Amino acid sequence: MATSAYWRTRLHRYRLVGNKCVACGRIFFPPRLVCSNCGSTKLEEHKLPERGKLVEYTIVHLAPKGYDAVVPYVIGIVELENGVRVVAQITDVDVNEVREGMEVELTIRRLPEQLEGGMICYTYKFRPVIS
Amino acid sequence: MRDVAVVSIGYTRVSEHWEKSLKGLFVEASLKALESAGLSARSLDGIYVANALSGYIQGQTNLANVLADSLGLYDKFAISVDAGGASGAVAIHEAYRDVAHGIRDLVLVCGVEKMSEASPQEMVSALTSVEDQEQLRYTSVTVHSLAALIYKTYLKRYEVKQEDIALMSVVDHEHALTCSHAQYPFKLSVEAIMDSAFLAEPIRVLEAPSPADGAAAIIMCSHETAKELGLPHVRVAASEIARDRFNLMEREDLLAMRALVEASRRAYDRANIKSSDLSFAELYDDYSVMGVIALEKLGFCGPGEGVELLRSGEVKLRGSMPVNTFGGLKARGAPLGAIGVYQAAEAFLQLTNGAGQNQVKDARIGLTHTSCGFNSVVVINLFEACC
Repeated sequence: MATSAYWRTRLHRYRLVGNKCVACGRIFFPPRLVCSNCGSTKLEEHKLPERGKLVEYTIVHLAPKGYDAVVPYVIGIVELENGVRVVAQITDVDVNEVREGMEVELTIRRLPEQLEGGMICYTYKFRPVIS
Repeated sequence: MRDVAVVSIGYTRVSEHWEKSLKGLFVEASLKALESAGLSARSLDGIYVANALSGYIQGQTNLANVLADSLGLYDKFAISVDAGGASGAVAIHEAYRDVAHGIRDLVLVCGVEKMSEASPQEMVSALTSVEDQEQLRYTSVTVHSLAALIYKTYLKRYEVKQEDIALMSVVDHEHALTCSHAQYPFKLSVEAIMDSAFLAEPIRVLEAPSPADGAAAIIMCSHETAKELGLPHVRVAASEIARDRFNLMEREDLLAMRALVEASRRAYDRANIKSSDLSFAELYDDYSVMGVIALEKLGFCGPGEGVELLRSGEVKLRGSMPVNTFGGLKARGAPLGAIGVYQAAEAFLQLTNGAGQNQVKDARIGLTHTSCGFNSVVVINLFEACC
């Protein structure tokens, strides 16, 4: 993957920044160029809340290329505090202890693959909130 | 608009064809379709080639032109159609439009896919490449995990058991028993499914197709040309495409499948039929639960009643609404970009009384449902027996 392609998506991958339709108020993650709700092209950057709850999850046993060393792992739908839903990996949790309704928070984690030149890449994941 | 006919079909068995290349599969299916119509490649106006993954797996782009060359087809158009699992049916839609509007008169549509050259992990990545990569790449989210989220939502909403949803795969395998082109012509029990490994919980390996190689071809022309050629043929009664949001998180409800509802409604309207008028349907059951949902969205039963319909046995060959009459995606096999063309070829067999032991009695009109990205793209093609 080209470094520029990764750099372009740094805001959404590293800071959970989506965007919001100025016309209808719908929030998107990842950000969209055209609103899929009303068709407006006026959207503005919108930082998403970093906490939410796990509303559904699955445990992955057959991984894509580069991830087979980390199975089984959890993929879930996180409903953030503003109601926006994000699908992401849930980390720092034993697959036997993951449960629906679990409070989770954003964490930025290293990816197994590196870009050309050895640049280390990170992405968003969610982990249980420790109370 | 002119009436459009399918006059001939050809296909390879769905299998892991170690000895055959993309070209080999394509040429075999295309020549079979041409030979059974008594036509030469040179009599065609051109070809549509449907494929989803050759750029990813074989590193072969510009596929239609490369394959047209392998068939010795020069001076004619060759167009690649890429719409993931829906590729084959979108290609048929294109040929239908060409012929219906009088732009072209004799067109071959061939779907071809060769998946056996990828490792299981590469295949997960390849299948997931059909989804929006800006959303999913580098997140470790796979198509199987998205299917699992839909599956769990379904289980909870309708309070059904996985063992009942798995019946979809059992029916597929039962129908494939007597299908000579099926990848897996053997019986499968619910117990065997539930004992198989997980893809992504709760989905078992035996609830989804395995990688497969195969090619299927059909020849389409105007109704007048079909009569002049003196060939048995079927009529394309409708070909409708609808689309939905790729990002499942942008959909109001994971189980709504709006594009499937919309495409089938438009197809029924176009053909002036109701779902109960269908003699059979070929569903895109890339996961058992997706087949169950399709039964409901196509109007064969109400929401949450798919499992009851499966249990009733009415979806079997001798039932009132036979589905996946040659084994569906699970057992006939699912060479991704070719699926829609296999489904059309199977509809042709049913409607020309050529389905052998898999023949549905008095088949008059059949539906094919082809999709990609959890019904992000849905093609509903309807085929009708002539005279």
